[in-house]
Amino acid sequence: MIWQQLQSLIGSYPLALRGLAMTIALSLLSLILGTLIGFFLGVLRTKGNRLIIRVIGAWVDLIRGTPFLVQIFLIFFILPELGIELDAFTAGIIALTNLAACFICEIVAAGIRSVPTGQVEAALASGLSQWHRMRQVVLPQAMRVALPPLVGQYVLLIKDSSVVSAIGLTDLTRVGWLVVQRVPNGLLVFAIVGAGYFVVCYPLILLARRLEKNMNAAHGEVQL
Amino acid sequence: MIKFRGVNKWFGALHVLKDITLNVEPREVVVVCGPSGSGKSTLIRCINGLETIKNGDLVVDGQRLGDRATNMTELRTEVGFVFQSFNLYPHKTALENVILAPIHVRKIPKAEAEIAGREMLAKVGLADKFNSYPAELSGGQQQRVAIARCLCMRPKIMLFDEPTSALDPEMISEVLDVMVGVAEEGMTMMVVTHEMGFARKVARRVVFMDAGAIVETGPPEEFFSNPKTDRSRAFLSKILRH
Repeated sequence: MIWQQLQSLIGSYPLALRGLAMTIALSLLSLILGTLIGFFLGVLRTKGNRLIIRVIGAWVDLIRGTPFLVQIFLIFFILPELGIELDAFTAGIIALTNLAACFICEIVAAGIRSVPTGQVEAALASGLSQWHRMRQVVLPQAMRVALPPLVGQYVLLIKDSSVVSAIGLTDLTRVGWLVVQRVPNGLLVFAIVGAGYFVVCYPLILLARRLEKNMNAAHGEVQL
Repeated sequence: MIKFRGVNKWFGALHVLKDITLNVEPREVVVVCGPSGSGKSTLIRCINGLETIKNGDLVVDGQRLGDRATNMTELRTEVGFVFQSFNLYPHKTALENVILAPIHVRKIPKAEAEIAGREMLAKVGLADKFNSYPAELSGGQQQRVAIARCLCMRPKIMLFDEPTSALDPEMISEVLDVMVGVAEEGMTMMVVTHEMGFARKVARRVVFMDAGAIVETGPPEEFFSNPKTDRSRAFLSKILRH
């Protein structure tokens, strides 16, 4: 019985690989886009004008306060009503990027706020422009605070990408659903699906740990 | 070089600078002292625009602060500022701290900036610490890096905000020695400090502040031996008692 199931599972490895590739593509694309947008919003959130800060704050709260599944449905089913046709992949990327950007914005803003004002004053006093103050002085120090939660957020993002299976994208989770219909052993099938996610996430977790260690070693606090 | 005329400033309801009028000539060294909360730090922080003034005139290096024509970033490149808490960039080595502004503000090529930076660090006695991070340096060494960081910009004015108050006693003199050297090279300096030895040695004038106002100014010898007001007498008797 179990032998048959295993054979049948091995037979569906091309499908599993496609699912894994879809999960990685979704995560990677939205991770890169979300990081870029999140950094931009995070800087604006601490340095921009009051209206922009309010608008970003409200949007972040809205996204953080609603389930991701609902956000995906809204994007996938409501936008076409407004005349914007989206395929499932684009909708998934938009939803994931938006989610990532909102969380990363908060992480980056918290990192920037953690940099002592004395650092900004020193940079200001030496005549550095706003860009160089940010790039050379504030962001490197903000990153030390932001990096561990940032990589943690990447791991969450990869796992959240499983929700896009709800709009029909054949990612790793959906492959699990498809396979389990042929191989009626949910425990086995979803253990393998779980292992697939873990294989992608675990190196990231290790990376976060190493980065944290390296940065702590290199960038000590100023001692008074 | 620095001209205050009728300058006032408030923090909320608190009147922190009261009708300040003061003139600092080129190459002059002025020591500012007074009890804590008297507005001395605020006074020098106004000069490079870390604080803004409410009314009155403040002219630095021929440029009036608050004027539209005055570019604060440009003005700040001519004014070095040394902080009480050093404020070195903790993620950069001593040399990187020193060359950051010359490279990005003065647009000096990196190799050239490094040569000048090494020279400046050697001058403040840190020739063996180019590649140390601030956390690996003592307080006195950090403050000397901070002074070198300012000097590398070749400023016209140097401002010091209690540069030795965060230091252990045995490190104070190494920082003061560097400051005396800077003064003797003819730098225009305003120094907020209670180091009376330093004031006697290099200051042309001592400015005594209390409750946001300048109460007394005079040459250090005269101020220390024969203070004219009750408040300066009371202040001096407190800091000179030990």
